[in-house]
Amino acid sequence: MDKEVTYRVGIPVTGMRGESLGRLEKVLLMESRHQVTALVVRALDSMHIVPLERVAELTASDVRTNIAPSEMQGFPVFDPTQYEEVPPWFFPPGHHIELGALVTIKPFDVREQGEDEAMTRRAFMGRSVAILAAAIGVSLLVPIGGYIMAAATTPVKDSWLDLGVRLQDLPVDEPVSHPFHAFSVSGWMRVSEERSVWLIRHSGASDPLSEPEDKILGLDSASELSNSDPRLTVLSPICPHLGCEPQWHKGQKLFICPCHHSIYQLNGKRVSGPAPRPMDQLPVRIAPDGSISVIYEQFAIGIAAKKRLA
Amino acid sequence: MGHKIYAYLDERIRISSLMGFLLNEPIPGGSRWAYIPGSMVLFVLILQFVTGMMLAFYYGGTPDHAWDSVNYIDHLTYNGVGVGRLIRGIHYWGSSIMVIAVGIHLLQVFLWGAYKRPREVMWLVGVVLLALTMTASFSGYLLPWDERAYWGTIVGTNMIGLVPFVGEAIKAAIRGVLGLGALTLSHFFTLHTMILPTLFILLVMLHMVIFRRVGPAGPFSGTPEKLEATKDTFYPRQVLMDAFGMLGIFIFILVLALVRPPGLESVANPSNASYSPTPAWYFDWIFELLKLIRPEIVGVVGLPVMISIVLVLLPFLDKKPVRSPFRRPFAVLSTLFVLTSMLMLSLMAENGYKKLVPVDRTAMLRGEKVFTMSGCIGCHTLFGKGGKIGPDLSEEGLVGHSEHWLTVQFINSKAHFPGSIMPDFTYLTPQQQHDLAMYISSLGRMGWPDPTKAP
Ligand code: HEC
Repeated sequence: MDKEVTYRVGIPVTGMRGESLGRLEKVLLMESRHQVTALVVRALDSMHIVPLERVAELTASDVRTNIAPSEMQGFPVFDPTQYEEVPPWFFPPGHHIELGALVTIKPFDVREQGEDEAMTRRAFMGRSVAILAAAIGVSLLVPIGGYIMAAATTPVKDSWLDLGVRLQDLPVDEPVSHPFHAFSVSGWMRVSEERSVWLIRHSGASDPLSEPEDKILGLDSASELSNSDPRLTVLSPICPHLGCEPQWHKGQKLFICPCHHSIYQLNGKRVSGPAPRPMDQLPVRIAPDGSISVIYEQFAIGIAAKKRLA
Repeated sequence: MGHKIYAYLDERIRISSLMGFLLNEPIPGGSRWAYIPGSMVLFVLILQFVTGMMLAFYYGGTPDHAWDSVNYIDHLTYNGVGVGRLIRGIHYWGSSIMVIAVGIHLLQVFLWGAYKRPREVMWLVGVVLLALTMTASFSGYLLPWDERAYWGTIVGTNMIGLVPFVGEAIKAAIRGVLGLGALTLSHFFTLHTMILPTLFILLVMLHMVIFRRVGPAGPFSGTPEKLEATKDTFYPRQVLMDAFGMLGIFIFILVLALVRPPGLESVANPSNASYSPTPAWYFDWIFELLKLIRPEIVGVVGLPVMISIVLVLLPFLDKKPVRSPFRRPFAVLSTLFVLTSMLMLSLMAENGYKKLVPVDRTAMLRGEKVFTMSGCIGCHTLFGKGGKIGPDLSEEGLVGHSEHWLTVQFINSKAHFPGSIMPDFTYLTPQQQHDLAMYISSLGRMGWPDPTKAP
């Protein structure tokens, strides 16, 4: 088998004593064994299948067999409708065979049912495979999609943070940037973070700036509305424009954002600048003893609505 | 649209010729259901790859986070659906099903004599893949870092340590530290998620390449001419059968994952000496066998060595070309013998383990009140609080005492511990005793650490 063999269509096939039997027409491959097993010889009457065992010598120019001419009739007749051409990637190694000469017996159902019907059956089975694969794929990918999105869509649990400062200790009508420790939860881990908020203690309800602008404009959520106090406004330190941190300018009595000069009043109202909305007011609770706790909320920046980030 | 893309690709990378090569593979004797086990293994392996990657998405591979992260995965929901538990469930059950599928595949190749010439090399690659599967399930066991994982791995690595000469070195290399710690966990994580998958991909590809080179073995009876006459191509009939098989296995795994989601025991506690570790069920028979073989070392070293030798040498010792199992009585009988003994050993092992008491939740909640009322906390520690006179009860539920044992303990401690200083709580009504036993049995097992907080 290691020897290279060449099959050329049309070369003469000779018998025991060199008499002409016909010409080589096709080469039969036993596909499941990956072996050439027989030759198709075109004799005068018809094409016959000659097993390879009967071939005595094979050269590029002729095939010599040990067959007597009278025997030829006894070999089965080659029926081309039962065979199909073998694509090049199935050629056995070391064989040089002209394209189209190598044939193999067709699959069972093609021979039984005929080409057309077998093709429709093939197409049907192909579609069934596609449906089954899609069923598995979808029922796997849907939970996976949910799984990937799950962490991002899990709502954060609001937690009240005691700021460790009491109302009576704050200056009146003068914002204080109050730093505190907070935890941000990332999946299974709690990370401690430094945060700050603006605390603005108001002199009294008569003061026109004691009402947070968010409330006036109706931007607050239910939790922010129910957790507010006329004595104190808590503002997020984050500028709703692009997320910088506005600073309090004592002389002008204004918050001015150093990045793009958004300017806000004491109650968060935007006076000028590119910011789309007032500074964000946060929910606050004041205990009877004056200690202050807040929920540190964060909001989407750059939009007019006060949209809570999950 | 699809046709255009196909035509475009065909012109450039000759995709139709490639598809033809992949799909028109001849199957002597035609397609059969009997040929699907190999494809099933491949399918489950891919499922493990996909779900494993998903788990790694949220996993934290250090002892101080691993348990939290797995617990986090277990509680991940999307629109109220427990997707995290589902994905973990598929991976968990997938590993068991993978072991079964590999077993069936191996058994079939053996019985059909398909390992014989010229498929010896393919068989050897398969044996390596079997070893990889076992290593994968062993290394995955530790990752949740709960009690079962921890103690199971302690035992497993201790067994490796028993191997003469090299054992201690291998054990130290795997563990990284004396006990199990951060290094062990990252070693196992790397092994499980990087080394093994790489080897799996390479060897499965090799297995497939060899398969396409030598072709399928086909049925063990029938002349070549007859097999050729009834031959079929891989696509579409065999592919369809494979697809049905895959859907079946997929649904099976899905149902298991939904109905019996994997549990998570309390976080690994190296000082909890009372924990009795149990191996994964498919290692049960080995453990039972190890109990029978004395001295221990003979079993620990001899058994795996013997199994590997038999598997590796099989195609070289058995060179007779006969493939039909009906004409290989010795092979078939020895298979039957091995299978029944594995089954018997596994059953023995399962019965040997202490069964934990099933907990009735309402009784457990009532039991908590009895516990507080009786002042047990004066002597016993629970979740870090309480007295130090008696043992810590935080994980008492895992010890595996029966309800009867516990009731006796409450009313007559001296029956278990002569001279015990634990008072006899004889005033408890039978109902209260039952409730208290339920509460004690639940400790450390559910809703860790406090069982009453479980949903
Ligand atoms: C006076 C202190 C004391 C009190 C009160 C007490 N125990 Fe104990 N308990 C012990 C001691 C000590 C042991 C260890 C056995 C021994 O040496 O007597 C023990 C053992 C146990 C054990 C067995 C632990 C094991 O697995 O070995 C259980 C269960 C238990 N106690 C439950 C309870 C419950 C429930 C209560 C309350 C109804 C309670 N104990 C009250 C001292 C106490």
